[in-house]
Parts: sequence; C-alpha cells; structure tokens
Amino acid sequence: MTATAAAPAKPAKLPRDQDPRNPNFRLAALFDEGTLELITEDDGSGMLAAVGKVDGTHVVAFCSDATVMGGAMGEVGCKVVVHAYERALADQAPIIGLWHSGGARLAEGVLSLHAVGQIFHVMTQASGKVPQISVVLGPAAGGAAYGPALTDVVILGPEGRIFVTGPDVVRSVTGEDVDMLRLGGPEPHGRRSGVVHVLTDSEQEALDRARGLARLLGAQGTLDVGRVQDIDLAQMLPESKKRAYDVHPLVEAILDEGTTQELHARWAPNIVTALGRFGGRTVGVIANNPLRLGGCLDSLSAEKASRFVRMCDAFGIPLIVLVDVPGYLPGVGQEWDGVVRRGAKLLHAFSESVVPRVTLVTRKTYGGAYIAMNARSLGATKVFAWPGAEVAVMGAVAAIRVLHRRKLLEVAPDIRPQVEAELAAEHERIAGGVDKAVEIGVVDEVVEPSATRSALARAISDAGVVIRGVHGNIPL
Amino acid sequence: MARDPKTAEIVAEMVANVMRVVVAPGDRLEAGDTVVLLESMKMEIPVLVEAPGTVTAVKVGEGDVVQEGDVLVTLDL
Repeated sequence: MTATAAAPAKPAKLPRDQDPRNPNFRLAALFDEGTLELITEDDGSGMLAAVGKVDGTHVVAFCSDATVMGGAMGEVGCKVVVHAYERALADQAPIIGLWHSGGARLAEGVLSLHAVGQIFHVMTQASGKVPQISVVLGPAAGGAAYGPALTDVVILGPEGRIFVTGPDVVRSVTGEDVDMLRLGGPEPHGRRSGVVHVLTDSEQEALDRARGLARLLGAQGTLDVGRVQDIDLAQMLPESKKRAYDVHPLVEAILDEGTTQELHARWAPNIVTALGRFGGRTVGVIANNPLRLGGCLDSLSAEKASRFVRMCDAFGIPLIVLVDVPGYLPGVGQEWDGVVRRGAKLLHAFSESVVPRVTLVTRKTYGGAYIAMNARSLGATKVFAWPGAEVAVMGAVAAIRVLHRRKLLEVAPDIRPQVEAELAAEHERIAGGVDKAVEIGVVDEVVEPSATRSALARAISDAGVVIRGVHGNIPL
Repeated sequence: MARDPKTAEIVAEMVANVMRVVVAPGDRLEAGDTVVLLESMKMEIPVLVEAPGTVTAVKVGEGDVVQEGDVLVTLDL
C-alpha cells in the first residue's frame, strides 16, 4: 500500500492552476455552480474537502490532490478525509470521495499506514448512517483502492484504475507482465471483480452519476400514489413462456420514466439491481434477468443482490423484487464456489430488512430460489403474482417424473409423453398453480400486468412510515 | 494474453444444448442481434452480441452440447 505502487504516467507537467487534476477544479465540477465551500486548507496535504449543493441537496465531498506526489496520502491528508466524514455524520449528509492517489506516502513510513487505517475506520463507522459514494478518476492503489471499496457505491471514470499493487510491483514480485488497464480498469472491475458499480465514459459523466446517486440516496422524496400511472407491462415479456428475455425494459417501465440508475450492470448480470424513482420516491429494484444464465440465481448474483438489499435497508429505501427464476444454477462449479454460503447471504439480507419490500412474480419461481427472492416466508410486505405465474418446487413435468418414476417406467415409450402431459396438468392443478399459492397464503393477490404499477404503489404506501435497518453496509 | 481488439468471441455462459444457429459466416450484425438460441434450465435463451461486427466463423451446430466458456461464434468488429 505505498505510493511507489502506482506512479501515474505524467505527460508534460502543467502549473497547478491549470492542471485538470487540481482538486479545486474537480470539486467545483461536482457541485452546483457557486455552492462550493472549502472546509479544509488547500495546503499540499494531498487531500481537499468541501461542502456544497447537488441539485440543491447538501453534500460533503473530498478529493485527492493528484498535483502533489500523485495524490499520495500522508498523515495530514488522511485527517482531511476523517474531518470530511465527521462533517457528513454531523450534517447527516451524503459524502462523495473523488480519488486519484497512489496510496500511502512512502516517505512517512508506518505513520501514513496508520493514518490510512483511520480513514478505513471512520468509513466503517459511517457505513449505513450516511450514503457514501466514491468516484475513482485516476489510479487508486493500495489504501486508495480499499477506501472506495468500503463505500456504498464505486463509480469509475475512464482513466480510473483500482489495484492493491501496481504493474511495477507485480512485475518485480511475480514476473507477471500486465498494464494498469488490464490490472484494474473498467473490464476487470466492471465485469469480473464487482469492485466497481458504475462505469463511465468521461470524468464529467462520472461526477454526474455521483450527483444523481447522491440525490437518490440522500433526497429520497415521498411516494405520491396518485402519480403512479398504470401501463400494460405484459408487453415487456415474450409470448412464449419458455423464451428468455431482457428484463431491463420491465424494470425501466415500472420505475418513473428516465430515473433508472443501474448498479453492477455488467457484473453478475443474471440479476439486475437498480435505484430509481417510483411515484417520485426513491426505491430499489431487484430483478432476475432471464436473458443471462436463464435468470438463475448463483453465488455471485446472490451476493450482489444481498449487498444491494442491505444498502437499501440501511438508508430506508423500499424494495420492489421482480421474480422470474428457474432456480439456483446447478453444478460443481457453483458448489465449490460457495453457492450455499453466498446464497445464504440473500436469505439473511431479506429476512433482516425492515423497509417495505414488495415481490411480484411475473412468470415462475421455483425451489430454493423461490424462497430467496423475497418470499412471504422471509417476511415480504406483500407478494403479487401475474395470472398464470407458476409458484412451485420445480416445473410440473420435472416434478411428476420424480413423483411417478415407477409408473412412467411401466408405460410404453410411445405414449409416455402423453401420460407425462396429463400427469403434469393434474400436478399443476393441485400443487403448482398460482391459485394454490393464493390459497395457502404465500401469494397475497393475483394482479393484472395492466394494474401492477398502482398495486405496487399502494402496497408500499400502505406499509406506512419507512424505517431504516440499524446496521452497516459491509461490502459483501 | 492480449487479444486482438478487433475480434470477439461469443461464448456460452452455461452448459446448454444448441437449439438453433441463427447466423452464418459473413453476416453483418448489430449490437443486440441474436447469434444462437440455446436451451438450458428448460428455457430458450438467445445469445446476443454486445457490439456490431461481421461473423467470421460459427463453431457449433444444432444439437451440440456446449459447456460454460465454449466459443459459439467469432466476429470481426
């Protein structure tokens, strides 16, 4: 965790008052024009902190000073960050960190490590209390990598690179030849590691996404049920029940138009996690995406959803859970990957959460995945299903093949499919259909796709005052 | 390990049967176009391309069983 880990490539050195890496410029570009007010001295400590407005909302921010020693963090710079956190906690305001730093200052030795550790401590103390957003604009190595990783949302600018140790150290220790892009750029962290929630194409876009998320998390608004218009959501799904589809259009149609902010879009894409407005209020949406892995739950998607549920719970954000899940992904890869341990996180996260959480089963929900997707048994506020939805341990044909194995073996092969179909229809009638689920109370109500938005809005509204879960948001 | 950035391999995300191959070498594709229809978890799952390109090879045929990571189609971007 040292500054030598990631000496950023420097083109011609500009005077500080013209250098785009100057934290005064970056903080000014983050806040509403004319609202920035520094709360620490601009003194070469390597960090600068300020308060200001984001679309009128009060926000605290700090920024690495990459014009000084590549933004490396020493004792004084770390105190700037701790001070910014104390202010955010006192003001109950979202805090945004802009990162461009090689990590701890090597010249200060263990003192700088000690100071960086104090940043980690204050971030963890603030976890779940105030929304924390990180924007990584340049190389962020060692301590500057773990800082963002402790926060609720990590946004990566096009030049952002995140790693524990930079290419030079990797080469000298292991001989592996790798550049910063491949080690810690958008591809590894957006798609493989899950370190980054949001990828962007420009520094300004990265700052704008931080502004949007600070508003969603910090100025949640109130749900106006009358504002929620019904639209026919059935058109978002294919006609064939067996056909996979992309769930994004359904998520976007349920949320208020143009408000969807997806997190972790490319990582574990078989589940979609998004914040947005619903009737003017911030909500979180979790949706199986059948286009990817058939929408199966697996270890990564369960972990991704768990962290999202816990973040929303900590900040008092109601949840809408859209279910179309064929089950958990089977196989040795998943078992060895810890699907039992990681899948348990989702059961824990939903069961623990105290915010309103409303489930909608659109097509099917089977087995262990049925429970994990915010079933009645985990304490769902309300469970809706569309007409014809299947709520079952497994698909009807698979079920009767197990239940009637002997009988089917005795049937002549040429008429076996017909017998299977008859048994499946009978099984569905007595055990798998949505009517049975309503009868036993695991589905509260069958709702038409054309009446779903208003039903969801009433369910959230009827849940009354939203309270917050009292816990941190550990980066699961 | 550095791959040619002007080509792409479309791979299977999971074990599946190949139901239908929708493209042939030379086809010009837009982002979101389907290349292969897979069958897995009792569902028909279209495999889409993320970026526009031209099909250079189709590596699977209908009825094949593919494993996670198997290349289905290669593209020139």
